[in-house]
Amino acid sequence: MKFLREILDKQKPLFEKGGKFEKFYYLFEAQDTFMFSPNTTANNKGVQIRDAVDLKRMMITVVIAMLPCLFFGIWNVGKQHALSTGQELDLMAQILIGLKVVLPIVIVAYVAGGLVEVVFVVIRRHPLNEGYLVSGMLIPLVMPPTIPLWQVALASIFAVVIAKEAFGGTGMNVLNVALTARAFLYFAYPTNISGDVWTYFGDSTPADGFSGATALSLGAATTTGESSGELVAQLNQSGFSFMDMMLGYIPGSIGETSTIMCLIGALILVGTGVGSWKIIVSVFGGAYFMGIIFNLIGANDFMLLPAHYHWVIGGLAFGAVFMATDPVTAAQTEKGKWIYGFLIGVLTVLIRIFNPAYPEGIMLAILFMNVFAPLIDYYVVGANKKRRLKRATV
Amino acid sequence: MEALNIVIRGIFIDNMIFAYFLGMCSFLAVSKKVSTAFGLGLAVIFVLTITVPVNWIINENILKEGSLAWMGSAYETIDLTFMQFIIFIAVIAAIVQLVEMIIEKVSPALYGSLGIFLPLIAVNCAILGSALFMVQRDYTLVEATAYGFGSGSGFFFAIIALAAIREKLKYSNVPDGLRGLGLTMLITGLMGIAFKSFIGIVL
Repeated sequence: MKFLREILDKQKPLFEKGGKFEKFYYLFEAQDTFMFSPNTTANNKGVQIRDAVDLKRMMITVVIAMLPCLFFGIWNVGKQHALSTGQELDLMAQILIGLKVVLPIVIVAYVAGGLVEVVFVVIRRHPLNEGYLVSGMLIPLVMPPTIPLWQVALASIFAVVIAKEAFGGTGMNVLNVALTARAFLYFAYPTNISGDVWTYFGDSTPADGFSGATALSLGAATTTGESSGELVAQLNQSGFSFMDMMLGYIPGSIGETSTIMCLIGALILVGTGVGSWKIIVSVFGGAYFMGIIFNLIGANDFMLLPAHYHWVIGGLAFGAVFMATDPVTAAQTEKGKWIYGFLIGVLTVLIRIFNPAYPEGIMLAILFMNVFAPLIDYYVVGANKKRRLKRATV
Repeated sequence: MEALNIVIRGIFIDNMIFAYFLGMCSFLAVSKKVSTAFGLGLAVIFVLTITVPVNWIINENILKEGSLAWMGSAYETIDLTFMQFIIFIAVIAAIVQLVEMIIEKVSPALYGSLGIFLPLIAVNCAILGSALFMVQRDYTLVEATAYGFGSGSGFFFAIIALAAIREKLKYSNVPDGLRGLGLTMLITGLMGIAFKSFIGIVL
């Protein structure tokens, strides 16, 4: 490592004020700190315990936590392709198909968003953060595998410019960057991100009997009276048994299908202290609570769906683990986190059941609570002040 | 039940700010501090809850075609709907004056921080908009009151949420050209995306 340090030190004057590449100082700084930050190293003599967690380390941890979802997603895209077209493919072939579909989306998201970020870094002269490593990975994971690549690029650029850089860059945004990208596509190009887009066909045609329905669209159909009958039986019949949805062998956005993989990610996030367990638990709790309430009302078959099904259907687990816990856009007070997460869960199930226009509620529920998170914090802090003032005896 | 539905619709689905983009001037201008926004939000709720039913009574008994029948058969065919705008505005202005006097008396601090925007509620498009929507949708008196309260509450939640966001953004390194109103417009748009989650819900 020492010779690397020396090379970088030699280059440094070129990038500092008055140097030849003064404009690109923060690009230089980025790669310098990427490798050597935090640069405090333990002393050779004696034993020290040093906690060197900073923004960069945190972001990398989140990326690592997302890898199980990504790898499973790659395989699942291939698997769903094989299932829906009726081909017999072995594991390797399925993974290859998945790679062919998913990798370009990941690369486009990283390159498009990353380039915009670099432009901002150079013009506005603020340090390049690792924040986009996370957003750039989240964006592909919440896209359907059939999404056109130019839309991925457009959405990434929109999200980075409008949702993040306009607010002053990493750590200042109000709405979750990746969700803004998805919501942008959702409202701008609805045909490419809803309906029959969750399975990749490529050149092949779907096999006979392939319906293209998702668990949520089956549920929504019962609320509008298009179909009736017990929803669990319907789900089992269409290949959405509880176990399948738990493991993730279902069509859906690239990274969100497997609840198990999301939970592994949650373990990594909570174990390293990067994600807040309070938010994750309260999102699941809120969804369960609302599921039970709807069970009691029971006006249609979707309402009668057992509450724990809401945990595995759609993107609730993925949203709860990776989106809701975003430390910038979530509530920042500890009490506020409980309220924030709980309301996300409640809203998600509400939107799923009441709004047939949007089968999946987690995206908009999180965005909605992002908007209200500062307000929750404001009142939690206010209540705390009041409580402590009461205790003061002056 | 119908009244409750209308209140919920007014807050979330037909939100004055995010579904119709009415009342933007005070929404953008008085949202720098949560406490002030809270006061203005309450004032809007109060004014709407009173003006919409009052306008309803006037509309039903004086302005609507044939509503003057109570004065005698000679008046049965009179249609004064063309007077709607001017009468509604006059009612709103009068009630806003009343609210202003009450606030000045009860809370001089709030009166000071609301400043010019309190009289400006009189020309807040959300207030006149509600009165006109109320006519268009053929509400009953109870429904009209519920509608006034609901759309006022929608405005209230929108403005305090925006104020909390703007208080937080005080510490952000916002690009020069976007400081202040520019960024607030962007936030309003993004909040509108978040509120879209409810559009399409049928209660």
